[in-house]
Amino acid sequence: MATLLPSRPGRRQRDLWPWLLVATLAVASLVFVLPLLLMLAAAFKPSAEILQSPPTLLPQSPTLDNFRTVLAEAPYGAWYRNSLVVAGAVTFLAMATSALGGYIFAKFEFPLKKPLFALVLATLMIPFPVLLIPNYLVANRLGLLNSLWALILPGVVSAFGIFLVRQFVAGIPSDLIEAARLDGASEWAIFLRIVVPLVRPALAALGVFTFLASWNDYLWPLVAINDLEKSTLPLALTFFNSVNATRYDLVMAAATMAVVPVLVVFLIFQRQIVKALVLAGMK
Amino acid sequence: MAAPTTSVLAPTRPGAARRSRPPGYASQMAFVWTGLIPILAMFVVFAFLPIGVVLWLSLHRYNQLAPTAPFIGLNNFTFAFTKDPFFLGALGTTLKYAVVAVPLNLLFALPIALGLNAVPRLRAVFRSAFFLPTVASAVAVSLIWRYIYEPQTGWLNVALGAVGLLEHSWLSEPATALWAVMATAVWQDLGYNVLILLAGLQGIPDDFYDAAKTDGAGGWARFVGITLPLLGRTLLFVSVLTMISYLQQFTYVQVMTGGGPIHSTETMVLYVYSKAFSDMQLGYASAMSVVLMAIILLVTLAQFRFLRTRWEY
Repeated sequence: MATLLPSRPGRRQRDLWPWLLVATLAVASLVFVLPLLLMLAAAFKPSAEILQSPPTLLPQSPTLDNFRTVLAEAPYGAWYRNSLVVAGAVTFLAMATSALGGYIFAKFEFPLKKPLFALVLATLMIPFPVLLIPNYLVANRLGLLNSLWALILPGVVSAFGIFLVRQFVAGIPSDLIEAARLDGASEWAIFLRIVVPLVRPALAALGVFTFLASWNDYLWPLVAINDLEKSTLPLALTFFNSVNATRYDLVMAAATMAVVPVLVVFLIFQRQIVKALVLAGMK
Repeated sequence: MAAPTTSVLAPTRPGAARRSRPPGYASQMAFVWTGLIPILAMFVVFAFLPIGVVLWLSLHRYNQLAPTAPFIGLNNFTFAFTKDPFFLGALGTTLKYAVVAVPLNLLFALPIALGLNAVPRLRAVFRSAFFLPTVASAVAVSLIWRYIYEPQTGWLNVALGAVGLLEHSWLSEPATALWAVMATAVWQDLGYNVLILLAGLQGIPDDFYDAAKTDGAGGWARFVGITLPLLGRTLLFVSVLTMISYLQQFTYVQVMTGGGPIHSTETMVLYVYSKAFSDMQLGYASAMSVVLMAIILLVTLAQFRFLRTRWEY
């Protein structure tokens, strides 16, 4: 905290430091926000204005026409629904299986426990692009291609989630679980009523992580989905872009509708989300 | 699902039978296996089986349209390394991408994290500003930056022209395209590294700095003597994670340049994708993705070695 700023009173030269630092950070952070604002501005510009050179910073005559055109020309509602269904299902199921798997690996002794856990962890080292081709063939064999199931099923289990929950459950005293057993609680009741509430922070972290990853995923949907009606938002955005290559007013309107809700949700819950991401990142 | 339960209850080894089972052992094992088997089945179908398939494919000439898939040994690999300039180009581009963009990322992320750490009151506001791009989809970010890089109507050239600097067609010149794409990637995921580094910085006890100050250590001496070594693990963790992700770049190049101009931004994943799904050469593409996996595994294992030897405190 005090590393860079030893602000001792009475020394004017040093008092300038904090302001310089804040100013630098402000300029730097602008670099990270401005492109998003440019997207927003472009989305409200009429088509003639978007081609103007030099470009205008703010729309001179703001219009909602771009949004109307996007919604009229493209099945945007379906794309949104697909993205919500896929990201929602993947998040819920990954949280459920991670809670269960993490608890089992943390608190039970059973044959083959160690090798099985090692195998699960080993999948963390496999980069997804390597699984692209075989997953395509497997999904093809199972008849999943070109359906939302192809996007949901591979994400149902998460080695990272199981690992995260296991670390968390290790901190729960086994006595608590034994006591519940002596009271006659069934194993499933112990899991649902005692363990799940206690690992909620880990599950929240996993949930944020999984939802964002699934919502923004591009490579796998690109391979697994053909129909426009079954596309998720990132996939649909590139399609939209390829059809309206030079119409940045329309492309930015479509991008705005995909991105802004996520940004708003992040800004509302940012404290919890940041905490969750740090927890997930630091293990 | 019942099979493993019974086999546990009736152990075949004589030694295991003598061990006394606590009451409720049977119901615990039933819980373990009913819970675990569906989970493990998913791993088998979507991770272990695919790894087997990709290794098998890499040793065969497999084309979905062809009726047979003859075994060809390591021919896919030797072809890639000796007869396919596009593969070597993509390999080079991928390595260059990782070697340039990872330090570039940390070069900005570390000072920003240090800065944020020094302004406790404004930290939350600035942090969300830096973090905002990481939440957006990479496709949307690619489209935004393509708009900014537009030669005539884009903001970058306008800004550069205003201060008298050279303007470029950033994405259509081979000399600048890869840099423009890397800048986009760094812009988007810098915030995540800032977040992790900041958490690492906050984990360093204030006492260390206080002690150093009483010893008369200046700001730079404290940074080199305390901050850097204590942040070492976090820095390494962040670098490796970033490197692994930069070795697999796909979305930015696919959306912004399609690998061009003249293949100058074609990464390995993009090349694998086009070989597999445009040319339908699934065997050859699998072999190339196995090469990518080997590179990434090497980076991961090197990290484990390094963590064990150098950074023990």
